[in-house]
Amino acid sequence: MNKKEILKLAKGFRGRAKNCIRIARERVEKALQYSYRDRRNKKRDMRSLWIQRINAGTRQHGVNYGNFMHGLMKENIQLNRKVLSEISMHEPYSFKALVDISRSAFPGNKHVVLPTRKVNVSSINV
Amino acid sequence: MALLCASASAIFSSSERPSFASLKRTMPSNQSSFLGFFPDLSLVPENQRWMFEESEADGPDIWNNTWYPKAKDHINTEKPWYVVDATDKILGRLASTIAVHIRGKNLPTYTPSVDMGAFVIVVNAEKVAVSGKKRTQKLYRRHSGRPGGMTVETFNQLQQRIPERIVEHAVRGMLPKGRLGRALFNHLKVYKGPDHPHEAQKPIELPIRDKRVQKQR
Repeated sequence: MNKKEILKLAKGFRGRAKNCIRIARERVEKALQYSYRDRRNKKRDMRSLWIQRINAGTRQHGVNYGNFMHGLMKENIQLNRKVLSEISMHEPYSFKALVDISRSAFPGNKHVVLPTRKVNVSSINV
Repeated sequence: MALLCASASAIFSSSERPSFASLKRTMPSNQSSFLGFFPDLSLVPENQRWMFEESEADGPDIWNNTWYPKAKDHINTEKPWYVVDATDKILGRLASTIAVHIRGKNLPTYTPSVDMGAFVIVVNAEKVAVSGKKRTQKLYRRHSGRPGGMTVETFNQLQQRIPERIVEHAVRGMLPKGRLGRALFNHLKVYKGPDHPHEAQKPIELPIRDKRVQKQR
């Protein structure tokens, strides 16, 4: 009975792991361990993806993610990152309004212009 | 969610385009188009009817699920093409910007498992610059796999031989390694002289935000 269930769970595996019970049992156990671990990892990965998307969206308007979030926290805007990333993709004008609110609340670093370095003329190979 | 929408609407009251789609979704709905408080459009003046468009009401739930691109969102023929002139640009800084655009990390629709990036053309690749003594000291190594098969060349020698390889090597090191990364690498086109055969794609200037990419003379 258990054999049947295991082989059912082993559908789509590579090679003998989908057909032969001794190998399938090991692989299915590992697969179930991975799925347990990844149900917890998925929450982390999703949040990281939202943050990357928000970062890209705000940088289009000249503000980076850190300063943007700081400005939102200051204004007590409690939109979560999931919603913010969806807004940045589907509602660009609303997102721009949010970026402007955040920028007025926390200006952040202006574009830091580093001093230009003069290069040794002898090392330039034209 | 209702509180969130209320606060969202208070904030958006000053913006040009409030997202009423989020207000509509106060009822828990998987797929239903139940709009309990949808106003009668005949009472709304004509120039404000765009606010109540129903286009999102019957579709999939975009606010509770994270968006994943469909096939029509990343068709290769509709992606933008960028062109950049590598004359006197610092190699690493240029390659970093190129890799960001090829991977699609500058777009809010970025997805790590899907190729959402653009195509980039590099011209004048033989004029790319490096700082310090790298021109004579930076080494490019390759190994044929056999014992004693390591070949070492300097930046100068490789630039005489195959100048495109320098930019390609730099960008390849900055793209992800894997099947998708190898596919992304094919979106980079590097050329030696000032012209390229991609005029039909109408490439635009690559926007570089790095202030130190240009070599100071």
